[in-house]
Amino acid sequence: MRVPPGVSSEDFSTALQQFEEAVGKEWVFTSDEDVAMYRDAYSPFWGEPDELVASAAVAPDNVEEVQKVVRIANTYKIPIYPVSTGKNLGYGGSAPVFSGSVVLDLKRMNRILEVDEKNAYALVEPGVSYFDLYRYIQEKGLNLWLDVPDPGWGSPVGNSLDRGGGYLMAQYRNHFDSHCGMEVVLPNGELLRTGMGAMPGAKTWQQYKTGFGPWIDGIFSQSNFGVVTKMGFWLMPQPDAYLSGTVYVPRHDDLIPLVEIMTNLENTRVTNGMPDLGSPLLSIPMISEIAKWNQGEGPPPPDAELSALLAKSEGGGSPELEQYALKKGISYWSCKLSFYGPEKTNSANWEFAREKFSTIPGAKFEENESYKLPLTPEQREKVHLPQFGIPSLAMFSIGARSPVNPQPTNGHMWFSPIIPRTGEAIFEANRVFAAAAKEFGLPVLSFSLPSCYWERAFIFIFAFPVTHDVETNKKNRAAFKKVVQRAAEHGWGEYRTAPAYQDMIMGTYAYNNHALLRFHETLKDAVDPNGILSAGRYGIWPKHLREGAKT
Amino acid sequence: MASRREFLQVGIAALALPISAHAALSPAADAPEKTAPVTPLYKVVYDERFPASVAFGTEARRLGLPTHSIRGDITDLWFHDLDAQWKKKPAAVAGLTAQGALFCLERLAWDHGMRVVFRGDHQYLPASSIGHILTGPESVVHQAASLQNEGDDWAPRVANLVARIPEGQSTPAKVTIHGRATAPADAEAEDLISWVIAPVAGARILRKA
Repeated sequence: MRVPPGVSSEDFSTALQQFEEAVGKEWVFTSDEDVAMYRDAYSPFWGEPDELVASAAVAPDNVEEVQKVVRIANTYKIPIYPVSTGKNLGYGGSAPVFSGSVVLDLKRMNRILEVDEKNAYALVEPGVSYFDLYRYIQEKGLNLWLDVPDPGWGSPVGNSLDRGGGYLMAQYRNHFDSHCGMEVVLPNGELLRTGMGAMPGAKTWQQYKTGFGPWIDGIFSQSNFGVVTKMGFWLMPQPDAYLSGTVYVPRHDDLIPLVEIMTNLENTRVTNGMPDLGSPLLSIPMISEIAKWNQGEGPPPPDAELSALLAKSEGGGSPELEQYALKKGISYWSCKLSFYGPEKTNSANWEFAREKFSTIPGAKFEENESYKLPLTPEQREKVHLPQFGIPSLAMFSIGARSPVNPQPTNGHMWFSPIIPRTGEAIFEANRVFAAAAKEFGLPVLSFSLPSCYWERAFIFIFAFPVTHDVETNKKNRAAFKKVVQRAAEHGWGEYRTAPAYQDMIMGTYAYNNHALLRFHETLKDAVDPNGILSAGRYGIWPKHLREGAKT
Repeated sequence: MASRREFLQVGIAALALPISAHAALSPAADAPEKTAPVTPLYKVVYDERFPASVAFGTEARRLGLPTHSIRGDITDLWFHDLDAQWKKKPAAVAGLTAQGALFCLERLAWDHGMRVVFRGDHQYLPASSIGHILTGPESVVHQAASLQNEGDDWAPRVANLVARIPEGQSTPAKVTIHGRATAPADAEAEDLISWVIAPVAGARILRKA
């Protein structure tokens, strides 16, 4: 059995015994087989000495047990690492940032404490998965939707604390933004509730976010200042109907007005689902089309002429490529808009959107899906389920070898920079990342479109492959770091990353001599003086590990 | 094989010793283990997109096993069936699928005290050949020798193997067998994996009804 760094075998053994007394012997896991369950399946250090691994795991059933575990950890200075369902693949899974930590597995805390249909909110524990909450809502026949990530097997608490996102209306799409109220076990074992929850007997804990005084919820996301044991979320009342329509524009530079109009329409709530950009010419599927394309229902492969033009074009554009598109009648860009609401207003909003996009010469329109909700079983077969608040694991069908994925890997690490929500920024990011790929010896980067759409920003998400070949992983890790640095030089920072890169990415948020990180460290030292909780998470190390002793 | 994740098996990951193909193909090794009861399979999963997987499912049905077809995605199988079943009582499932389906089911099963106890990687190779790399109970993988001669009909033979996984502890083994087989068309040319996920004594159970 591995012992956490800096902890004596005797202390660890005593702590484990006390963990067993706190939560029950059967909920403390120390065998190699059980601890192996907490390995990061997508670790970029897979099989190397630097792979981040747990020493043990402990699975409390309730908040009182969490408090006990935290207090024991403080007594013996045992590093602990809370996970909710541990499905954060691509961003670290359930492996601790500080190797050798004890995973605090919160899966057993899977109670759905309240779902209020009229006010459209839920209060859940961290072990509740999106599937659990969806099932609860379905079984109770509640007219509520969840905004789910893709894939949807994680937990609302874990996903939102790592600032994940989904596909529905903007006010639900950013999962941390859609939370309302937390209960937190602080590193000293004390229990705290945020927002209105700070008032004993509060009637509006899940209805009014900020409470009174400083709103501190943000410090518990992407951090290590407490163990969140309850969290409220605003849910989306089920709309009456859904309509989607796609705009097609013919020229390369049309992307700029396309994005500008799209953004204005979303921010004025004319369209209220997540917009979805694609490129018929460049064979870039819209996100909602990926599964179909992967099943072989995409466009035919480029002909010889187009292949040659694509090979020559840098950054996805050239006059010849545009001429080819015009000659063949293939649209350069597409943008799918989603409308949730009454059928009549959906139609009126789509009509208004078409008017706006008609200012782009040559714009064409196609009405796609029109459903009265809820979906019928037949309709469910055809749609991208997360766009209807339905959790799915279909994304994992894409990971294997197929015509659009000829060389699958063992996993991936996400490089996820935030860029401005403009067409110009998309072009610039592609130019920069294509040049970086060439410079750093990475495979030629095809033109990319944003994967996530926040109201004021895009997230680009690039997958760096993870293999089980040490040398390949070493090269990819080095390239990853260079690309992060190159992005930072252009003012684009990552929104989230795997543990292996959290220090270096926090390092890019360096304004005024790293004032933000220094503030985090001041907080860390104040609330967790023994540095027991999630050491190193998002680059925040406790004092005793800051001076180069992170081994 | 281009795509192969390592997998975790209680008692196997730590103990597995590679055995030679020669030993695996020896007549003595072909003798079935008669005493151990067979793991009852709650469902056998096959993927309609792949002819080999369909043949596997057909053979499983012929053997009297309950089958479930998917098209890559296991969401419906898990959400409408396995989740409720596993919360009540862990139950073994088997399949011949692409990697994604196994990846999901394996991880979902971990929290119910189950592990992958048998895995076969089946990879089409150049020159109309196929490689089968099987890891699992010695008594079963040693019965795999005839895969060498099954040609394109290897999948039903694999269905027979997964139907014979012994319950409880068994000696782990690994064997590599090469046979002749014609790779399917590009659209269906995905590496398939046969697998059995079964309850394992002493494994942690974190999710219950």
